Amino acid sequence: MIQYAAILLFVLGLYGLLTNRNVIKIIVSLNVLEIGLNIFIISIGYVSGGIAPILTSVNNTSALLFVDPLPQALVLTAIVIGVGTTALGLAFAKSIYAKYGTFDLDEVEELK
Amino acid sequence: MKKLFAFVLTIGLGVLMIFSLRANTLFPEFGDVSIADRISALFLDKSVNGDNGDVVFGQTTDAEDGAANLVTSIVVDYRSFDTLGEVTVLFISSLGVALLLGVAGKQKRLALNFKPNFMLRVGSRALFGIILMTGVYVILHGHLTPGGGFPGGAMIASSILLLYLADDEFRTKVKGFKVLESVAGSLYVIVGLLGLVLATYFLQNFLPTGTVGDLFSAGVLPIVYVLIGLKVGSEISGIIDHFLTEGDLA
Amino acid sequence: MSAVLLIAIPLLVAFVSILSKKLAPWLLLATPIANLVLLFLVPTGIVVIGGFQPPFGISLLLDTYSFIALFAVNALVFVIGLLNVKEYHQFSSILLVALAGLNGLILTNDLFNLFVFLEIAGIAAYLIAASNKKPASVFHYLVLGAVGSSFYLFGLIILYAMFGTLNMVDMIEKINAATVSASALILPFFLMFVGLGVEAKLLPFNSWVKGVLGSSNTMSGPMFASVYAVTVSFVFGRLLNNLFAFQGNLLVVVVAILLLGIALGEAMAFSSKKAREILLYSSIAQASVVILLFVNGLVLWGALLAVANAVSKFVLFYVVTKAQKEVGCDDLDSLQGMFQGNYVVGVAFSVAALSVIGIPLFAGFVLKLGYLTELAANANWLAIAVILVASLVEGIYYVRMLVKLWYPGEKEVKVSFGNVATVVIALAAALLLVFGVYRGPIDNLDNTIDSVSEVIDLG
Repeated sequence: MIQYAAILLFVLGLYGLLTNRNVIKIIVSLNVLEIGLNIFIISIGYVSGGIAPILTSVNNTSALLFVDPLPQALVLTAIVIGVGTTALGLAFAKSIYAKYGTFDLDEVEELK
Repeated sequence: MKKLFAFVLTIGLGVLMIFSLRANTLFPEFGDVSIADRISALFLDKSVNGDNGDVVFGQTTDAEDGAANLVTSIVVDYRSFDTLGEVTVLFISSLGVALLLGVAGKQKRLALNFKPNFMLRVGSRALFGIILMTGVYVILHGHLTPGGGFPGGAMIASSILLLYLADDEFRTKVKGFKVLESVAGSLYVIVGLLGLVLATYFLQNFLPTGTVGDLFSAGVLPIVYVLIGLKVGSEISGIIDHFLTEGDLA
Repeated sequence: MSAVLLIAIPLLVAFVSILSKKLAPWLLLATPIANLVLLFLVPTGIVVIGGFQPPFGISLLLDTYSFIALFAVNALVFVIGLLNVKEYHQFSSILLVALAGLNGLILTNDLFNLFVFLEIAGIAAYLIAASNKKPASVFHYLVLGAVGSSFYLFGLIILYAMFGTLNMVDMIEKINAATVSASALILPFFLMFVGLGVEAKLLPFNSWVKGVLGSSNTMSGPMFASVYAVTVSFVFGRLLNNLFAFQGNLLVVVVAILLLGIALGEAMAFSSKKAREILLYSSIAQASVVILLFVNGLVLWGALLAVANAVSKFVLFYVVTKAQKEVGCDDLDSLQGMFQGNYVVGVAFSVAALSVIGIPLFAGFVLKLGYLTELAANANWLAIAVILVASLVEGIYYVRMLVKLWYPGEKEVKVSFGNVATVVIALAAALLLVFGVYRGPIDNLDNTIDSVSEVIDLG
């Protein structure tokens, strides 16, 4: 079920990207899309009854049932890359505002 | 009209994805995953280079990878090359933010729309130390507990952000961040090259991995995570500084 | 010596280069040269990283296919750096990271690692595009690029859930071994195709190209039209040949997208009056031709065409963007007669343009003859017809453009290219001439330059 929720978030973000013309709203939509994708990646690794893949003095052997750690490592990479893209997108938003005095892409195109 | 088109398109894509995944016999149901069929099965047992049996916390010594946190063992050991790329992504974003938002040093702080009182200033200084120490702790224990260089670095950056928000006079030395991120990044690559020289492969672990679960274990992993933490902390702090200053925009 | 140095050295140099603004441009020039030397010293084959054998660790694959691409990319980055080092010195670190990302894209044998390098090269590309000073169009590119790589990642994760591996060679083996219906693979392959299609300028994901290349300068124009184009073509080619098994309806859709891309690209180029727009629409069409060759399994011709296009597009874009910078406008009318007094550059530009059309004596002709023969052998008449008509249209607008640029107009147009640029452009054009006549090296190569299938056979 949670995978369908993730796909829903993904297409919701896509819908936001297709309909919004405001730079900040576009960045928010992009983040919604990426969060949907990240939840999907995490859900791929879930094993029913599995525990977090960290050895401790309680769960002390790798013979126990763990969830798949690889998607968790991948999602870390995906999140960091998302942060980088968002920071850069916001920087572009700031320079669009400085140049055109608006966040609306429709108005920007008129000024070109 | 445009919205309707977008609606139909996205709903179509979503339905297509869901039905395609449902019909896909190889795609596992949620929770119904067999790890034995995946490459991560050997990451869990630390048996990529030969079967070493089960790993036991506090007992197994000199495993091919010494991290008790199995996600860390993938992030900084088995797939360390990805992490080097990830660090590069953050590096180039902070470079880009600096390029787009002007050269630092010539700009002035964005003014706060309130006057911070005495309590706020002193309180934020006290909190700054606590958050910073938590960040350092999370970085140093990245191979044992949840956390590591990325969340720890983000915590360090959040302590800097707190100072920015609580004090309208506060500026950090961006130049110092730049040196720190350059040195930390270079050292990461150099650790990789040392692996090539001292062992056989790029980014190979060339230090003894010790006992699983010890603070001083897992070879180069804690070193790499400290470097990542410093780099992430300084890069995000640099980005924050660029967003909270104003000046002549290009 | 290991091929991983081709990625590690530019990365290390990039990290160091932010410390000194004075040194950075020199480092930018030294690194591609060092890489070119290194390229001849390192052994080919699978390169293991971190000491974990594939499919568990990340590995790289250096074969003749990636060798050709690496050589072209490093040489072109050096040349572009050389010509722009004065004006765009603050982009030195970014170009270095871009170089590391592009080398990684070509070399990597791991599908998730490919995504990471796609993002590195992509973010570097947004910043290179930022030198155009048109933030709104770069923002459009950024959003499309980010969505594209998300699609790629989505497709990849579905493949991981199905087969439990990320290594490209291992993935291909498992897909071949599994008794899986083709329909189950449509969704992941389609998502990955869309994701890469954004960077490869395929229709309909290429709406960023006009904004970015249409206002490009002497650095960003050649970077996108030649360096990025050749890299993405090679990456796409590798995946199309080995991983994506397009069949049935999906194959029809993909081929239709590509043929439509060729037709629309040429039509738009034909109807445009601005020099940069003509070139950018032409490169959209050319990108689709290259991908079409890969889809039909013509690995060698696709690879060579991508390289030849990169060299010609470098010359064309550099000349046009330089002229635009000095004249302040890139309407063909206002550039009329710019080659009067610039005979060397004019001849080189004409050679590059004629090579793209595929006139005998130039490299483009040898290639066009080669791949059309093979398409005919496969009885792929529709593709042949579209390519031939496209060449005809291409011929008309390029010749029209050349006539305009050579024939002096009412106003005298003065563009000074400088000695270094003139020599570099002349050399690039000479290369196209040499390979138009002498085809010895090409005859020694065949489709086995891409060695993934051999690696699979070896186990």
